[in-house]
Amino acid sequence: MRNPRTGWLLLSPTLIILIIFGFMPFLYVLVVGFNEWNIFAAEDGLRFNGLDNYRRLVFDADFLHSVGLTIRFAVFAIASEVVLGFLLAQMLTRKFPGKSLFRIIHTFPLMVAPIAVGAIWRLLVIPGFGPVPFFLDRYFDIKYQIGSYPEQALLTSIIMDIWHWTPFVTLTMLAGLSAIPREPVEQAKVDGANRLQVFWYVTLPFLRPVLLTTVFIRIMDAIRTVDEVWMLAGGGPGTRFTGIYIWRVVFPRTDYGYGSSISLVTLYLTVVLCWLLFIAISGRRKGEVE
Amino acid sequence: MKKLFTIVLLVAFALLANMSLVTADMHDWWADAAAPYAGATIRGVSESTPPSNYVADVLAAQFTELTGINVEFETTSWDQMYSKAINDMEANTGIYDFVYIEQDIIYSYLAQDYLVNLTSFAADNPDLAYEGYDESAFTSFADYFKNADGDLFGVPMEAFVKVYLYRKDLFEDADIMAAFEEEYGYPLAPAESFDQYADNAAFFTAYGESMDMDLWGTTVQGSTGHPASTYEFLESIGPSFGLYNWGINLDAGSAQSANGGALDGDTAVEALTFWLSMLPFAPPEATSSTWDEVASSFAAGRAAQGWVYGENAAWIATDESRSAVTGNVGVRLPVTAEGVIEAAEMGEGYIGYYDGGAFGIPHSSRNKEATLLWLQFIGQQSVQAEWAAAGARITHTATFDDPLIAEQDAKVDGYYTLLEEQGPLFAGAPPFPFHAQVREVIDPFIQRAILGELSPAEALSQAAMAVDEELSRLGYGM
Repeated sequence: MRNPRTGWLLLSPTLIILIIFGFMPFLYVLVVGFNEWNIFAAEDGLRFNGLDNYRRLVFDADFLHSVGLTIRFAVFAIASEVVLGFLLAQMLTRKFPGKSLFRIIHTFPLMVAPIAVGAIWRLLVIPGFGPVPFFLDRYFDIKYQIGSYPEQALLTSIIMDIWHWTPFVTLTMLAGLSAIPREPVEQAKVDGANRLQVFWYVTLPFLRPVLLTTVFIRIMDAIRTVDEVWMLAGGGPGTRFTGIYIWRVVFPRTDYGYGSSISLVTLYLTVVLCWLLFIAISGRRKGEVE
Repeated sequence: MKKLFTIVLLVAFALLANMSLVTADMHDWWADAAAPYAGATIRGVSESTPPSNYVADVLAAQFTELTGINVEFETTSWDQMYSKAINDMEANTGIYDFVYIEQDIIYSYLAQDYLVNLTSFAADNPDLAYEGYDESAFTSFADYFKNADGDLFGVPMEAFVKVYLYRKDLFEDADIMAAFEEEYGYPLAPAESFDQYADNAAFFTAYGESMDMDLWGTTVQGSTGHPASTYEFLESIGPSFGLYNWGINLDAGSAQSANGGALDGDTAVEALTFWLSMLPFAPPEATSSTWDEVASSFAAGRAAQGWVYGENAAWIATDESRSAVTGNVGVRLPVTAEGVIEAAEMGEGYIGYYDGGAFGIPHSSRNKEATLLWLQFIGQQSVQAEWAAAGARITHTATFDDPLIAEQDAKVDGYYTLLEEQGPLFAGAPPFPFHAQVREVIDPFIQRAILGELSPAEALSQAAMAVDEELSRLGYGM
């Protein structure tokens, strides 16, 4: 008979690490979020202010704007990555000349650090030096200035994210497609299903767990995006996403209390968004069991 | 004759011997004083600027050779430098033994008691006090880093003013001069008024377009994703119109005109309106430009005139590997509104920004003694001239008279002379203990004004209200 103590003993290092580096900081942020704390205030130290920080963020137009921008960024970037990632994964399940080379090159962006991705794209799109504004101006008469047009800055951030993270989606989709048994697909074809019907009624249901996991990971990543966009546009109008807004409140402004409350609300929004998506994709309803 | 020659030879030999003895003594002193700390490593953080890079590339190696103390010097971006230093000092982690203290942040650091009093620390450790280091040798810029008792908290390592640069090759071209005079009815010249500045800007932008050149009429440090735009407005453009101390009345605890402030006043609106009106005449990268990109744009020959931080003047004017306008850089005082220079001369205002910084030792440092030696090393007179020539910064009064600087001065169109003679007309940032906090509040409004989402009056009115709210939250408000 197994001794449960052995299990706990084996788990204890992980649990201790989790408590120290995960749970304790969370508790700390939770406590700080109920306080006014700015180290450069006339009166130093934490001062309990109840729910003031949360009341403040509800009326903080900059914060609300950053949430709206982040959602736009996440929706467009992730939707594009999923579609492109699926198509590329489908392509990679087939044989074609240079497939191995393509797979290696296609995975390159994943290996680049986010800060370097931001730097590369900044060099590409900075007016006066970057090739993108130069060619757009010369051949299409388009003024491409991410510092002057917030929509262009947002669009560039989305394209940069797609470039960086589509390979990740491709790889997970490829794994999911490879795991689909051949029999149901062949059975569907024998029964006269066309390609769209095979995709909708066979492939997609089998891919659903992989899709869900991939989208969850990408949502969490997209909502906390800071470094790439920071390098690209410094978090100016059009790219002042929630992560960057939190960074500005916590670091240059040293407003730790307010920054903590925004962090917690952002975490809450992320969880809610993932849960809603889980319901939508998995099709689960109240009371249903797996 | 032979006797005279022998005497001259002997005297020369004696002088040489004396010099080598002095040098040997100096070497011995550093080695002896540093002996207990030899092999130690001191770490520092600073913004990546020409003066800082000289410290990292040249001075650190010299110091290590003399003392055996290793210097790890991290040069990073401006924002990262602040957050790294403040986090370290606040959490008392002791990662950094010396930190860069920008003139504008010193008041915040002193209010938080982050820094070691260098004057008293040296007095308490006479064995570490190097005789070649003299606090009184610094220019008056060092006063920014002193407390009320005159004790120093940072060894000045860079000090420069933000000047008006223009391209002499364009301004002195006969054809261009004739074309300008024909169009505007007066001779082309470096700007001395805002109207003239605007005419120059419009003219050269049109000229660049007509000649199919990558040339625009002015620089604008107008990044919409960086505080650099707020700084250019508050510290350079505003003062040149007579808007001082960011329009914040510290006594009244307000930035609003109705309460004694001036951030939303007529002068501020006029200044912002003028500055924004220059954007169409600036290179397209202007709205993505911080101080670094402005210097790079000017060095690339993309602007005919502009406001450029003086630390870049030397390399723009002399370094052919990085600049396309070497030998053609003119330096003048920035343009000012009527009466502003007179007010500055009477000590009732200032015309622009006297920028710079110092290295200080945080209380959290674990190697204070070794770091004190390092700071004295970079603060001694003998290393100043070459550093000043490389970084266009002067922190010692005597450096102005150094032959190397005189030679460099001619190449940079008298920048160093301007710094020495006109430097007192400029001023550092106001003594706010909440510098970054309030600037962060102002940033979004300036950026939205640059994008055209807010008019200058709307932007400044909303900024002033937001500043007052923040001051109140910080405990400095009304």
